[in-house]
Amino acid sequence: MIVLLKSLLTGFVTAASFAFIYRVPQKQVLRCGLIGAAGLFVFALTGYLGQVAAYFLAATLVALLSEITARMAREPVIVFLIPGVIPLVPGGMAYTTMLSFLQNDYPGGFEQLAVMLFAAGAIAGGITVTSSAFRALYRPRRGHAAD
Amino acid sequence: MEDLVEIVLLAGEVLLTNGAEIQRVEETIARMGKAAGFLSAEGFATPTGLFVSFYAPDGRVYTRVRRIRAVKNNIAKIAAVNSLSRAYASGEISTDEVKEALLELTKPEAVYFWPAILASGPGCAGFALIFDGSMLDALFAGITGMLVALIGAWLSQYPIPRIASSAVGGTIVALCARLFCQFSAADMNKIILGAVMVLVPGVLMTTSLRDMLSGELVSGVSRGADALAIAVGVAAGVAVVLSVGV
Repeated sequence: MIVLLKSLLTGFVTAASFAFIYRVPQKQVLRCGLIGAAGLFVFALTGYLGQVAAYFLAATLVALLSEITARMAREPVIVFLIPGVIPLVPGGMAYTTMLSFLQNDYPGGFEQLAVMLFAAGAIAGGITVTSSAFRALYRPRRGHAAD
Repeated sequence: MEDLVEIVLLAGEVLLTNGAEIQRVEETIARMGKAAGFLSAEGFATPTGLFVSFYAPDGRVYTRVRRIRAVKNNIAKIAAVNSLSRAYASGEISTDEVKEALLELTKPEAVYFWPAILASGPGCAGFALIFDGSMLDALFAGITGMLVALIGAWLSQYPIPRIASSAVGGTIVALCARLFCQFSAADMNKIILGAVMVLVPGVLMTTSLRDMLSGELVSGVSRGADALAIAVGVAAGVAVVLSVGV
């Protein structure tokens, strides 16, 4: 329970903070934070399915919410997508992988490399599936600012 | 016609230098090229360069190449170009207005963008908590993150390769973490892991894989290589500090 609450809070804070760092239009920062919180919450909730499945589901939800919010707010999808996936993204693992290699811990490095590639692949897969589905199903209206 | 070519090219360049997706750049070029009166406009965008051919109704073909060097992340500018190109395509604004707005977007930005630097604090603190750090670790990670973001902004004025500025960032993170741990019971690894998140290429790596999954192979590979260089730089910077006299 505490783990889930913590994931909501940290997901919101990190996504909203990185929305500033990536210079998202400032009136959208709150929405970015909420999407990030939802993503990390689902990741914590589905963790028992295994890491790859949890990353995939969380990224799919983030992409879905981003596509919907983008259409409502008439902004490009990346405005919400990039801050939204920030809490999930395996940047820390990229660093620990390289650190293991530099400290001559090759077995540890390769293990983390594999985990990182699967995590990044699962996130990219979730986003790609969702955005392709939206592209195929959604016919943009004239003058509509989202895509 | 020359003028119209320049405008469409400028739109593509603004998108690419601010970190837009390849697909968006190519679609924007095609859309604006059509709106500008060309029969078609074919764009080939990569993270390091932009190639565009415009087919004019009088049979002439205009081809331009733009080299893209420094890429920043500024989503607000991507959003601005996106709505400009759509307004232009639907005829709501004139060519001159688009040109003026685009030139406004290419003006150099202030070196220190304070909202981003200050937001690095809570951002890194949040990551320290995600990685199971204590509140103390989060506090120190936040302070370190802001310092690194500030120094990163200062370094961005100079033409330094990304791997070098990442290494400098990693060194500063590890130095601060060691310093904080001298005086408190904080966990050095959690501080480093949290604070390093402002440097590390998480989004870049995910974008690289997304590009590859959707068939943008050139862009996927080059973004992956970029991410690798940054990760090596950051880890090297940290490793140097960690290996000195434990």
